[in-house]
Amino acid sequence: MASESCGNPATDTDATMPRRPKFDRSKFCVKCKENTGNIVIRHAVYCKNCFMPLLTGKIRRNLEPFINEKGDGSRRRYLKASGNLLIGISGGLGSTVLLDLISRMYFPSQMESQKRTELLKGGTAHPRNEMVWQKAVVCYVEVCSAFPNMKDRTEDVRTLVKTYEQFEFTPLRLEDAFDRKWWAEVGGKPSPDLFVDPTNEALFLTQHDEDSSSSPVERLRSYLSALPTPTAIPSAIRMLVRLLLLYTAQSTNSSHLLLGANLTSLSISLISSISQGGGFTVKEEAQEEWTPKVAGNTPQTVRLLRPLQEIGLKECAFWAWWNELNVIGRDKFPGAKQGIGALTRDFIVGLERDYPSTVSTVARTCGKLAPKAGANGTCVLCDRSLQIGVQEWKARISIRSLSNSAPPPKTMNAALSDTLCYSCHTTLTSRSSKVRSLSNNLLPLPVWVHSYLKRSGLPEDSVDIAVQEELKESGGEIWERRKIDRSEMKGAISEFLLEE
Amino acid sequence: MAPRTCVLCENFKAILKRPKTGQQICKDCFFYVFETEVHNTITQSNLFAPGDRVAIGASGGKDSTVLAYVLKTLNERYNYGLNLFLLSIDEGITGYRDDSLETVKRNQQQYDMPLKILSYDELYGWTMDAIVSQVGRKNNCTFCGVFRRQALDRGAVMLNVDHIVTGHNADDIAETVLMNIMRGDIARLGRCTSICTQGEDTIKRSKPFKYAYEKEIVMYAYFKKLDYFSTECIYSPDAYRGHARTFLKDLEAARPSAIIDIIHSGEAFEVSEEVKATQKAQQTCKRCGYMSSNELCKACTLLEGLERGMAASGITDRARKKMEAEGPAPENLRTIPFFKLPTGQPAVAIEAPS
Repeated sequence: MASESCGNPATDTDATMPRRPKFDRSKFCVKCKENTGNIVIRHAVYCKNCFMPLLTGKIRRNLEPFINEKGDGSRRRYLKASGNLLIGISGGLGSTVLLDLISRMYFPSQMESQKRTELLKGGTAHPRNEMVWQKAVVCYVEVCSAFPNMKDRTEDVRTLVKTYEQFEFTPLRLEDAFDRKWWAEVGGKPSPDLFVDPTNEALFLTQHDEDSSSSPVERLRSYLSALPTPTAIPSAIRMLVRLLLLYTAQSTNSSHLLLGANLTSLSISLISSISQGGGFTVKEEAQEEWTPKVAGNTPQTVRLLRPLQEIGLKECAFWAWWNELNVIGRDKFPGAKQGIGALTRDFIVGLERDYPSTVSTVARTCGKLAPKAGANGTCVLCDRSLQIGVQEWKARISIRSLSNSAPPPKTMNAALSDTLCYSCHTTLTSRSSKVRSLSNNLLPLPVWVHSYLKRSGLPEDSVDIAVQEELKESGGEIWERRKIDRSEMKGAISEFLLEE
Repeated sequence: MAPRTCVLCENFKAILKRPKTGQQICKDCFFYVFETEVHNTITQSNLFAPGDRVAIGASGGKDSTVLAYVLKTLNERYNYGLNLFLLSIDEGITGYRDDSLETVKRNQQQYDMPLKILSYDELYGWTMDAIVSQVGRKNNCTFCGVFRRQALDRGAVMLNVDHIVTGHNADDIAETVLMNIMRGDIARLGRCTSICTQGEDTIKRSKPFKYAYEKEIVMYAYFKKLDYFSTECIYSPDAYRGHARTFLKDLEAARPSAIIDIIHSGEAFEVSEEVKATQKAQQTCKRCGYMSSNELCKACTLLEGLERGMAASGITDRARKKMEAEGPAPENLRTIPFFKLPTGQPAVAIEAPS
């Protein structure tokens, strides 16, 4: 088509596409209807003043019904938690915003609380006016030891937490999950180091004497390097961090553990968990109740909540910007880019741009789900509900051997597979399509697995063998541990077999 | 490099890497594991009973071509005692179905199975070409999808069969799980991983390839030298489903078990009891007797819109209200024949293989 236009949009109005309005009705705040809006949240305009109550309202809705140990039904009573509060912080945007909001809402500084006291009804002694939690601890798990050349940010986080005078700071390290000293500190019983052979899907348990003197960092690194896919590494780290935080919650007498997952990151973790076979425990991605199973402790149930689960990434970013919060940030794990977690992140963030309501739809839909069948205890690795019949299902759906004998032959070593949930078993065994030489390294297990195994009813001797071994070891005797193959088994019983 | 030996039989040379497990195996072992997994799926869920009359929804594409072959093989190997039929739907898209219907006719000869081809034109009085000329290319998938589901059931009634099997594979099911979560379709999410669906007044329908990877179906067709047609519809760029499929393929590339892991997730959860209580009860369509969530089933709603020249009434609320404002449906409106479950005798002559 012939045109006399020079193509410069400034002079030629027809050359530009009409701009789509960013909001539906007007540019005034939908709440106060007076101020000009400062932020558009899914087509609704809010001003800066109305934004704060909007956010705190959403947090209250997701947090307060779960603060008191027992729900009060329709009757609204004062809030009183049965223990302290633990806030898990990663240095990312969500947890920085969470820290700030929780501090403003439930832990006012001394000056502010003095001002408040003057306005309180019933005086400070009235139960309604007591603090919801007596004490709050902020916990940060440093993951830098897992990978070479990663920056240790503990001191940055410590400085950040110091700006909130009411919070205590407890730094942890990812390798604590393999550290007997930490395990003893949180009340765990002394246990030997356990290992599994990741090259066999049954995951035979064993103990490697040479490695027993290795440091927690070495054990953490061999754990991560024995994982078969780039997907498995971030998933394993997430699981370790979650349990480190839960045990810390229990050891600080906390009834609540709060994490900073926002709506966007919750949707990502829901889809990512479903894509890794975690459907049975999808509800727990949003909220869970955890009772420690360490013998000798009075069990205090810890409620793990994500108060920002209705607040999107954009709202968090605005809050941090307007309040000049210092977001420390996190390093990306090397290789994680090709994993399911990172692919899901790219997909959901892209979807949020094109179809803005999808992210909340994902979270709402998953909130309506419940596990189909009853659980059979909990997984020895992640301590989430264990679905019955996982291994039978896997064997039926993908045949991996031609032998018809379904159960693996009983060997001296017990198999870990039956005590793992579908996700954890998949994390440890599912391979990438690229041919990769399998590492023959044994995979060390986190410190809590031993006590869980004893509890989960795995043949006692299989676990106790490891303990016995330790004792024998001190006497200088060397025990050899190996799997028995069928021909050797047949050799042992051949005189009792009839000719075919 | 020395040739690798099959990890399963440890005897023959491995010639393929199995997409589902990554194992390097020989051709015979591949056939064995593929067929046995389908057999496990069938026996585990007690899909068939001896003497069942089973219609295979056959499009001439890879899934249904391989399904027909595998079902015939397993029926003979394990004595299922099934009477198998082929049932094809002709949507009436010029040039699209011609080749694939030829494949189905060839399958009829090769597998010695009776075939019934049922057309939209015959059933609804509309071909997809005619529908597209009225509604345009944007929403025509709604019509085609709704009409096809009913057409299969109605074809099954005509054949007097007890059961329809379709070639939906593991990739399709995993994709549907993701789609239903993203769309918030809780009712479909609850049932999309079931191998078999049967209401009180519908024909049993199942998916024996529920755990079979799309890539393995292609591989099976390739090694068995089965020919099929790729059946991509000329009217169907469904953007949203396309997003989900691309995402699923990325996940599969990252970790091949992802497809089966998503299905496992889908099977492990269900709609919680509190939400179930708020869901709508199933009804039957007052006009054609087919199952429906409203007074009129979706197919009758769409057809009425087409007949009255207001096709959008089945798509948007605004258009539906507009049509309702114009008064009730005229007496002489063309409608779909009343739906009745099979009575024992085939209602139509079936093309027997010559």
